[in-house]
Amino acid sequence: MNQLLEVKELSVAYGDVRALWDVSLEVEEGSIVALVGANGAGKTTLLKAISGLLRPLGGHILFEGEDLVHLNTKRRVEKGIVMVPEGRRLFQALTVLENLRLGAYLPKARADYDDSLERVFTLFPVLKDRMNGKAGLMSGGEQQMLAIGRAVMARPRLVMIDEASLGLSPILTRTIFELIVALNEQGTTVLLVEQNIHMALKVCDKAYVMKTGHMVLSGTGDELLANDDVRKAYVGERGSRL
Amino acid sequence: MGSLAQILVNGILLGSMYGIAAIGLSLIFGTMRIIFLAQGTMIVLFAYLTYWSFEKAGIDPYLSLFTVVPLAFVMGLGLFYLLFRKAAALEDKNVSLLLAVGLMYLIDNLILKIWSATPRGLNLSYSGAVLVVGDIRVPWLRLALLGLALGSALVVYLFLKKTRVGTAVRAASEDMEATTIQGINSVWVCAVSFAIGIALAGVAGVGMATVYSFDYQFGFTFAIKALVALALGGMGNVFGALAGGLLLGIIENLAAYYIGIAWIEVASYGTFMLVLIFLPQGLFGRRALVKKV
Repeated sequence: MNQLLEVKELSVAYGDVRALWDVSLEVEEGSIVALVGANGAGKTTLLKAISGLLRPLGGHILFEGEDLVHLNTKRRVEKGIVMVPEGRRLFQALTVLENLRLGAYLPKARADYDDSLERVFTLFPVLKDRMNGKAGLMSGGEQQMLAIGRAVMARPRLVMIDEASLGLSPILTRTIFELIVALNEQGTTVLLVEQNIHMALKVCDKAYVMKTGHMVLSGTGDELLANDDVRKAYVGERGSRL
Repeated sequence: MGSLAQILVNGILLGSMYGIAAIGLSLIFGTMRIIFLAQGTMIVLFAYLTYWSFEKAGIDPYLSLFTVVPLAFVMGLGLFYLLFRKAAALEDKNVSLLLAVGLMYLIDNLILKIWSATPRGLNLSYSGAVLVVGDIRVPWLRLALLGLALGSALVVYLFLKKTRVGTAVRAASEDMEATTIQGINSVWVCAVSFAIGIALAGVAGVGMATVYSFDYQFGFTFAIKALVALALGGMGNVFGALAGGLLLGIIENLAAYYIGIAWIEVASYGTFMLVLIFLPQGLFGRRALVKKV
């Protein structure tokens, strides 16, 4: 068991408002880990702390055993931790290609630019067709593909995807999940934050459940799908969100 | 009155100064979200430096472009890291705005101390040269100003479109946090766009020195004019800012000719108000200077 990422007893606050209490999580190399929970549970906060956008009050973020807590976002991206933020946050006025180029901004990623671009276009052929169009003019599904593609351009070891299915139709959601699995099969480790809990639990190797800033449950996807509390609280009896 | 053409030409030539200043404001506003009110004062400062190097060392003002503009760029980096780096990161943009106002008065008074209140201007051997086309008369030096403005706009445009850092500047002016997420040092991106804004003040300062007489109080008015030009042209578009400057120059000249010289300022600030209220995104802009709620 080779843990790529280990979060240990991480605490985060926004000013006086505590958002995370001693949260711990492990992501094994090559796996898909899902992080689920209701709105406001602290999932996005945790991702932001891991990517260095938020400074924790305490705790450790180990990546391949090295503590990242004092590194800025740039250094963490260099190490291979890349986030696909909630709401995609594309540069709407820029072209698809410019967005992808910005994903490969750092020297190491830039050196592999051509390979990365080919990899992105193979995963998401539609991006190649729309290469010179403005990112903001694409459909929601295409924008999500671009957001993930932009992260792939950084040559990540770990991709953290926040709410990939937000605002997408069930069919598109399925497509995006298939692409995330394909990305994972190419060797990229994935940490997934999802509202579509049923889908997330189905594709992941391991899942964590958060509630009001605490980590309350973890297990394999199947275990959590079979867990009565999880089903009642989040999934809905028939997995109706699918 | 064959002079409408002359008025338009005069307007465009006057407006080219506003245009250069507006492009600088636009770059700084784009990334840091502040209206850099000291821009006009920086322009005046660089006009004085141009004046100085001509008076003391006999350096032709157009030659001093090669010293003043790089100096302005370096000063821009220095000012950013010294004054604005921390303030720019704050949610409350009033801090940066107040810093800019403080900087403006500080430099105004430094200029007053060093060069006194006497208006200065350059008397060049070729100051009087005029290009005559039909019945339109265009002083060469003013035409050169237009060249400076077009050249500056083109250089900034190419920087934004063709370079990596330029692309990052455009990205940062859309979404700073998303830019950081790409592993881009967004503080450096802000510093570079601020420094280019100040370098443009250097260009405008050289231009000002060749054509106008100027004193230490000239800066604030000029910054406001640049702001009017920016509001007219709209944010997020280099040529829009330039066009806004040219348009403002034309409006001022039309007002001077048809209503009276005393009405120039009324016309330009009246335009400012009208644009902010009825056309907040400007004529060519992607984004409003003031957000519509």
